[in-house]
Amino acid sequence: MVEYTKTEFLIACASSHVRDGENVFGGTGMPLLAALLAKETHAPRSNLISEAGFIDANPREVPLSVADTRYYYGCSAAIGLIETLGFLLQAGRIDVGFLGAAQIDEYGNLNTSYIGPYDAPKVKLPGSGGGNDIASSAKRLIIMMAHDKRKFLTKLDYMTSPGFLDGPGAREKWSLVGGGPEVVITDMCQMDFDPDTKKIGLKSVHPGFTVKDIQDNVMFDLIIPDDVPTTEEPTQKQLDIMKKLDPKGIYLGKGG
Amino acid sequence: MTEAEVDDKRITLAEAAKMVNDGDGLFWGGFGYQRAPIAFAHELVRQKKRNLTVYTCGSEVDLEIMAGAGVATRYEIAFSAIEALGLSYNIRRRVSEGKLAVEDYTNLAMAMRFLGGALNVPFMPLRSMMGTDLVNLRRYRGDDKLKVMDCPFTGDKICLVPSIQPDFSIVHVQRVDKLGNAQIDGIVGEDLEGSRCGKKLIVLAEELIDTTEVRTRPDQTKIPAMYVDHVVILPYIAHPMMCHDYYDYDLEHLMMFHKMTRTEEGWQEYLDNYILGVDDHHGYLNLVGWDNLHKLRATKPWGY
Repeated sequence: MVEYTKTEFLIACASSHVRDGENVFGGTGMPLLAALLAKETHAPRSNLISEAGFIDANPREVPLSVADTRYYYGCSAAIGLIETLGFLLQAGRIDVGFLGAAQIDEYGNLNTSYIGPYDAPKVKLPGSGGGNDIASSAKRLIIMMAHDKRKFLTKLDYMTSPGFLDGPGAREKWSLVGGGPEVVITDMCQMDFDPDTKKIGLKSVHPGFTVKDIQDNVMFDLIIPDDVPTTEEPTQKQLDIMKKLDPKGIYLGKGG
Repeated sequence: MTEAEVDDKRITLAEAAKMVNDGDGLFWGGFGYQRAPIAFAHELVRQKKRNLTVYTCGSEVDLEIMAGAGVATRYEIAFSAIEALGLSYNIRRRVSEGKLAVEDYTNLAMAMRFLGGALNVPFMPLRSMMGTDLVNLRRYRGDDKLKVMDCPFTGDKICLVPSIQPDFSIVHVQRVDKLGNAQIDGIVGEDLEGSRCGKKLIVLAEELIDTTEVRTRPDQTKIPAMYVDHVVILPYIAHPMMCHDYYDYDLEHLMMFHKMTRTEEGWQEYLDNYILGVDDHHGYLNLVGWDNLHKLRATKPWGY
């Protein structure tokens, strides 16, 4: 039996959603390792892009910042923000973006801006950064979230980034370039979206969790299919590659 | 052939900061951990500037310093945090206290606002933010935060953001000659547009080079001298952040900074020691320690 940490499991799971030859916005943290893992395994021709301006990146050490020089060596181009978020992303050339959030609703809309009321916020979160740009214009969105009842809400404190907004037809109405969220990966399960209603549903349950665990930890009605598969576990090969990618445990060491 | 007689644009950091008036607006260069004009933020604090508006995409330690010290009261930004470490506590406190107003945009929206300012057009269209609270909720800019309209050509919904031509653009680069030809290595972030949108441009550089050197690699000149009003030359301008090909970030200092800012008392202690407790940038570097600084020097070919 393969032994792995929660972080390693989530990275392997996220990496399975990157397809070969795709242009991927990697960012930092778990999404970055997921994109690198995909490149080292089933998607060798995927193109890792950082919004700061790095294109076709192959970092030998994991960057802490999207603008970290660790992203530079081994890139095939280092340009700037209008290049990545404008010419590439807004022009529809990015296949996959990764986002995390403090709150998500049943249409996959995300809050990374404020906890509490906008006029008197309890906590000012980081804000959009390039998050809204990516959610608006990437063809597919992979969302990574800590699974907590307070984070899966019917009403967000603030909607920073668009999922399917208020339902079918909404992204089209606002002429958004991208296709919206494809999957939400939490520490308990994977969720996806009903093609007709655009509402969130259960896709697979991670080993060790039940459907009830998941229903108990969301604040909205989750679509539950009759047959819910178990999420695939990482292979030893994937685990070995992850450790090679992050030997100091900068991201692997966290939340294991 | 000899160079034509031109002004030497070099001034000191103190002289540069002195030009900024209370209430001014500043484009703030650098992106994430890269080429942050920290030394300029320190000097604005030492000179007790007030009521500044800062425009940028995503700066980190410098925004924390200016919010914490009460230098800036308005931010038009897309992002505030210390990547990999966590939330920006000073900004979070000042927002809760009502002492700092943050008008939220996205990275692309801010870059487009700088591009519009640089092109001298009043607004720029983009396809982000639509349908979200970035459009619906506004602070001091009110109706002038942005507009959503039907494109007059296609009929599609489009978002218009107002261009910015702030009083100053503050940009940190690797090398500059005394005329102001500024060379940037690595990514430029939003600094090409940002450097050209301000009414005045102050370039801070790690290294002074001769114009002859500029002419041997003119492709590295990302900001030609004609845009540049003043030049400040100093080492380790971005410390504790990084400067591509010159030095790495100082993770230990960065973690200490982030930890101290968790409380107002901790932040005040950092402010008193590292910013107000020294006379100038050299005093700050002496305090950080040259042994520490030398350890951060970049190694070829990695650039950090």
